[in-house]
Amino acid sequence: MKLTDNVLEIQDLVKDFPSVRAVNNVSFEIKRNTVHCLVGENGAGKSTLIKILTGATARTSGTILLNGEEYNPHSPKEAKQNGISTLFQELNVVDQLTVEENLTLGMEQTSFGFLRRTDRINKMVEVMHSLEPSIKPGQLVSTLSVAKKQIVEIAKAVAAESDIIIMDEPTAAISESEIARLFRIVKNLRDRNVTVIYISHRLDEIFELGDFVTVMRDGKQIDTKPVSEIKDRSELIRMMIGKTVFEEYTPRQDGCADAILQVSHLSNHKLNDISFEVHEGEIVGFYGLVGAGKTELARAIYGADPHEGEILFKGKRLQPAPDKAIEAGIALVPEERRSQGLFTILTIRCNVPVMNMKKISRNGIINGKAERKATAEYIGKLRIATSSTEKEASKLSGGNQQKVVLAKCLFADADLLMLDEPTRGIDVGAKSEIYGIIRQLSAEGKSIMIFSSELPEVVNICDTIHLLYDGSIKETMRNCADINSEKILHVVTGGQ
Amino acid sequence: MSNESFLSFFMVGFLIVLFGIACLFVPNFFLPQNMLNLITNNWFVVILGIGVTFLLVTGNFDMSVGGVVALSGVLSVYFCQAANVSQNALANGLGLPYGVAVLLALVCAMGVGAVNAFFIAKLKVPSIIVTLGTMMLARGVAQVVTQGAQRNTSLPDSFGVVGNMSIPGTSIKISVLIMLFLLIVAFAFERMTVAGRRTYLIGANAQAARLSGIKVGRHLTFLYVVSALLAGITGILLASEFKAGVSSRATGYEFDALVIALLGGVSIAGGFGSVLGMFVGAVILSVMTSSATGLLLSPDWQFTLKGIVTFIAILAQRYALDRRKG
Repeated sequence: MKLTDNVLEIQDLVKDFPSVRAVNNVSFEIKRNTVHCLVGENGAGKSTLIKILTGATARTSGTILLNGEEYNPHSPKEAKQNGISTLFQELNVVDQLTVEENLTLGMEQTSFGFLRRTDRINKMVEVMHSLEPSIKPGQLVSTLSVAKKQIVEIAKAVAAESDIIIMDEPTAAISESEIARLFRIVKNLRDRNVTVIYISHRLDEIFELGDFVTVMRDGKQIDTKPVSEIKDRSELIRMMIGKTVFEEYTPRQDGCADAILQVSHLSNHKLNDISFEVHEGEIVGFYGLVGAGKTELARAIYGADPHEGEILFKGKRLQPAPDKAIEAGIALVPEERRSQGLFTILTIRCNVPVMNMKKISRNGIINGKAERKATAEYIGKLRIATSSTEKEASKLSGGNQQKVVLAKCLFADADLLMLDEPTRGIDVGAKSEIYGIIRQLSAEGKSIMIFSSELPEVVNICDTIHLLYDGSIKETMRNCADINSEKILHVVTGGQ
Repeated sequence: MSNESFLSFFMVGFLIVLFGIACLFVPNFFLPQNMLNLITNNWFVVILGIGVTFLLVTGNFDMSVGGVVALSGVLSVYFCQAANVSQNALANGLGLPYGVAVLLALVCAMGVGAVNAFFIAKLKVPSIIVTLGTMMLARGVAQVVTQGAQRNTSLPDSFGVVGNMSIPGTSIKISVLIMLFLLIVAFAFERMTVAGRRTYLIGANAQAARLSGIKVGRHLTFLYVVSALLAGITGILLASEFKAGVSSRATGYEFDALVIALLGGVSIAGGFGSVLGMFVGAVILSVMTSSATGLLLSPDWQFTLKGIVTFIAILAQRYALDRRKG
């Protein structure tokens, strides 16, 4: 294995999925012993690229050279063996074991089946100590903070002599001082013969930490430059969003509508002092990138998670429980449709009326005919592609599944609909249909809150847009025909 | 046809095949009286099976039913025994009228259900641990009340009536009628009521159920109390039939109830299954037990035979269902 200048060379990499080309002829190089940042909006192709590098998914075509040799991992294990380690957002440490046991996990040394302490293990403990002396090898990992657990993972990767450590949004869950310590360690890794691929939405971090940055957009590599050659945030943002064309937004007839929802000083472990109002018939958007707190906000208002602060709906205090919210007239389309929104092993007919069984039953007895009729009605209204109401929800495509969840919430006849990533994983045609439905509901006087990480979605239909970053509303804008998307991105990536 | 109906029909087919084999190999199997017995002999396991099935559909176990049967039977005797009649403590009770004694015993049974619900729904302790614990607790209390033996004296004549009554002109006990009635109610509950639908929703996806406004804890409490009530009714009927409260009554019945539910196609993962299937499972169990007895097998072989047929049945179900789903 010769020690090339570039630890990684990606040439014409392509990844196709059935309906989209997620990675579109991407080529760039990563120099050895640098901190190489990867930036781009949601859907730019970063995650797919990383999945290919870590062996979680196979490329469609193209070449990857690792240390000058062809690299084509068939599994995450292979990737690891080849020297690529990853620090995911969901930590990969075993809480119930000690730091030392975690470091040697999978690489234990034994004689006749009994664990042995060897030089190799001593070296690992040394690495751990040099990175962060306050972490003792005998400590239980469950007693460590998130930031320290990250460091244990880093130590493990370093001790395993990884060439590359990929860090995916590592600062999303740690405090300011811990971020400073993390940065110190990351910069230090260059001296240990480790290259870091650093993915983050927080552009300030790029400028502080990065040697090089690659910007991706729509699956393509836009540019790869030394960070020193980038003038300021605006330039980076311009590279990230390019010339995005938005559908024309038509402003609503602005009547003086009453406030239907009033949120004051909402806080919990992830949210910081959030206050805002939603008026009748208004479509309010909450835009932010990963980790901004959108889902946490939706769930807190709905009562699915605990919170402090006051929420008034139709003038009355809202009790923190989903069934109370539904009773009052709020419905939530959750972020993850398979695990939170849908009853996948049940039929469409069993899914649709769930939030409002009173409509199709009398004295607790279900009216089968009414149920079938109502389900068929919504299948038609939302154009759900199915030949019958009796189809199992799991057999539908992602887009149609999302429509079923939407139908479920519409059936609840709510006055306020909260939609968390409503068109995630849905094709363009279906997206359009759903936006049409949302506009229609607003015209009928219903209020809608959309939580989304897709800027075009928010700009296309929302009347008011709140920009979220790190659990707070950083700015609120009224939508207009020539809204400044650069400014928006500036705010949601941590700019002032 | 829904997957549930398919599986129910499949298990009926399995039953017919098993029945056919039994008729060939077991002497005197094909007698009308014997066939009637297949349905009537297991009445108590079917009643217990109702509660167990609904809880399995939500993804939970109820292994406490056997203990509750023993407890309610023993308590119904104890409450009803005449007070202060003899030196022997086991012959003295609280002297309450039969009706009151029964009601009180049922309330105690439902109390066990409430305890189950508290630990499982509120404290989120895994149901298999909780219900095995309450099973032992209930049986333990029964043992204390009977001092490890039984209570069967100083009882009024009215005590033995309901357990021994039969339909005039036949040998079919009223208990069997009660079983059929409860089965029909359970089926209607499962298919036609909002609460029945809720059971399946919770089993299919408890998180989505919560986010859809279903009060999961309240529903689970309801099911556990009902299951305990059904076990209580069974205990009362059995105690009346034998005119005795025996602390060892219904030992192992919770496992039989679980087996017949699984034989009937109820999924252990939750969200799928029917009480009708459970009933078919009960008849399959009857056929197996009856065949084993008819073949004069030793009890050890009877047990083994039960196990083998259970395995075959469950594997056949999986195969049939997977084939259907393509």
